Amino acid sequence: MRATLRFTLLAGLLLLGAPAARAAKDSCVDCHRGLDAPRLKAPAVGFAHDIHAERGLTCAACHGGDPADPEPSAMDPDKGFKGAPGRAEIAGLCASCHANVAFMKLYNPRPYVFSVAEWQTSVHAKLAAQGDLKVATCTDCHGVHGIRPPTDPAAPVFKTNVPRTCAKCHNADYMKDHAIRTDQFALYAKSAHGVALLEEGDASAPACNDCHGNHGAAPPGLKDVAMVCGTCHGREAELFEGSRMKAGLDALGKPGCVTCHGNHGVQHPTDAMLSAAPGGTCAGCHQPGSAAAQGTDAIVSGFQGLQNSVTHADSLLQVAEVRGMETGPGREGLKVAQDALVGVRAGLHSFDPKQIGAVLAEGAASSRKATDCGREALRDWRNRRLGMVLSLVVILILIGLVVAKIRQIEK
Amino acid sequence: MSLNDWLRERLGLEALDHVIEKKRVPVHRHTFWYYWGGMTLFLFGVQVATGILLVLYYRPSADEAYESVRFLMTQVSFGWLIRSIHSWSANLLVGAAMIHMFSAFMLKAYRRPREVTWLTGMALFVLCLAFGFSGYLLPWNQLAFFATKVGTDIMGSVPLVGPFLARLLRGGDQITGGTLTRFFGFHVAILPLCMTALLGIHLFLVQWHGMSVPPGVEQPGAALKKEMKFVPDFLLRDLVGWLAALGALALLAALFPWELGQKADPYAFAPAGIKPEWYFGYMFQTLRMIPARVLGIEGEKLGIVGFGLAGLVWALAPFLDASDGRGARARFWSVVGALAIVYVIVFTLLAYRGGRS
Repeated sequence: MRATLRFTLLAGLLLLGAPAARAAKDSCVDCHRGLDAPRLKAPAVGFAHDIHAERGLTCAACHGGDPADPEPSAMDPDKGFKGAPGRAEIAGLCASCHANVAFMKLYNPRPYVFSVAEWQTSVHAKLAAQGDLKVATCTDCHGVHGIRPPTDPAAPVFKTNVPRTCAKCHNADYMKDHAIRTDQFALYAKSAHGVALLEEGDASAPACNDCHGNHGAAPPGLKDVAMVCGTCHGREAELFEGSRMKAGLDALGKPGCVTCHGNHGVQHPTDAMLSAAPGGTCAGCHQPGSAAAQGTDAIVSGFQGLQNSVTHADSLLQVAEVRGMETGPGREGLKVAQDALVGVRAGLHSFDPKQIGAVLAEGAASSRKATDCGREALRDWRNRRLGMVLSLVVILILIGLVVAKIRQIEK
Repeated sequence: MSLNDWLRERLGLEALDHVIEKKRVPVHRHTFWYYWGGMTLFLFGVQVATGILLVLYYRPSADEAYESVRFLMTQVSFGWLIRSIHSWSANLLVGAAMIHMFSAFMLKAYRRPREVTWLTGMALFVLCLAFGFSGYLLPWNQLAFFATKVGTDIMGSVPLVGPFLARLLRGGDQITGGTLTRFFGFHVAILPLCMTALLGIHLFLVQWHGMSVPPGVEQPGAALKKEMKFVPDFLLRDLVGWLAALGALALLAALFPWELGQKADPYAFAPAGIKPEWYFGYMFQTLRMIPARVLGIEGEKLGIVGFGLAGLVWALAPFLDASDGRGARARFWSVVGALAIVYVIVFTLLAYRGGRS
């Protein structure tokens, strides 16, 4: 009851007082802006561009005090002044508003509501609870006195900025007192995900928080890895879940996905990975010449055959198209074959030769259809040329006859 | 009674014999230009014949149009040939009609008493352009979709009646399947009906007045020195031209079969470098070169009004030019005609200097 009353008063104060305070003089900003010490001046300057300021909140919302008082007495503890919160208090201070559904709905009918319970599951929060204040708290990721919403490209938590924001702490220097790896950013930046996000600006590629979570950030457990990858690579995860390989890896205590693909440094999978020969991914567990190695070789040769067939059909269709022939049905067949090439790569995660063979067979049939269409188009093209020559010969003979008739009449 | 006699008695073919026997074509240094009317008529005949064959397979709806044309081109024997000839012949038809129109203008064939022949010819030329514009959308491919969008947008800029005209053509605010059905209706019903009526009047008037003799050749009060019979002399020469056109069509259809492209997707980006068919190129280029605003008036509107006025003046040339085709006023109109030809050629080339659209 008391908490509700306190919230109501706080909300009323903020909503009614904030616009008035914005319109009236804000002694906090007025004074701090004029100070020489950068530590004291920067908050007032930065806050002008802060999402909280844009929504009408003032310094007093976090720091207390009386912004209407132009004298240093504005910072009188009797006027509610709290000063700068300590690192251990920051999460609680932010949560006092951001974890309050009713309050957040005043600003957005469908707000993101911070979950204290989720935060407490994070490694950051657990270590903080043990007194380790070097761990990240809200302001380390979101900034302070200049906080931008996550949708703002200037925000440190904007999708493409997240990896560098995490790397501000997760580096060898900052983490020297913690026994954890610090090569994640270097690996990620060169990974398929990192290149897509950081170099190509592809926002569909995952950043750190897409796999680890953000407010509840933690390394996924061994059994959770496939689930994490499966949030994006759904088909592969689904097939893997029912495969013999999953059962085998579980028995060995090895994680799914990561065992073959790695984690932070994950690269675009290549056909070369599919080999039990030295250098191949399968060689990590399987011996050359083993049944698994033979099965892999058969699959690889199957889809290399499909790939060659697709390339051949494509070049035939291209030649026909350059010659002005209509190849629509062939292109449709080729599309199915190309989809099968993608499908067979996804299908590999079933580790079931029968299932993979079915996809390969479907692709091969479609590729043959495309090849036949290309050949037919080229044969048709040759026939058209022949027809054209024959018709021109007939037309020229007719012209000759008519001209002869004209001359005969003239005589 | 032989069949021939039976028919002659019932159809009055004696009168036709009389006309054929009497019809003469003047022979002089400009006789070559007389063949272009017949060439235009022949190509129109090709359009009618191939168009009827296309209608047997074509299905005028957004869901089926593209597929039906593709079926025709890939599955129907000689379907590709019929479609390619129809498309190429349409282009040659407009080209032949242009040559016919400009030669008639330069030879002042519109002089009294052939003013109405000229006016019907002008109307026929506009109908040819309308045939081209409406037929272009029918395969429902990407290029046609966006070119029609641009074309109807331009029509929407016509002062006062523009928005109504654009809605009338599109059957709504956007190009949809409804527009396709409507264009099909224009292409195979309304325009052919108008064309048949006007063509009938035009041919009757040509027959009624006979071939015009250019003022430079004509000797006032004196009969022409040289003539040839229409049947068979002129008709056989016409036939040579028609056979040559047929050969050109076979060559074009085999070497450059008309592309079908991608199916129209209203939500896709417009393909780069959309241009209308070449016979709208000079207008398109002119509108592109006019500044956005001229003396406070929207450039595109100004251009469209300009084309409207120019077309009106062109149509009224028989009434504005000297009736005997001689003197300063006649020379002025000859210069106007020459400038118009140069303008159309140069601006068409400018529009297409980047290659075929």
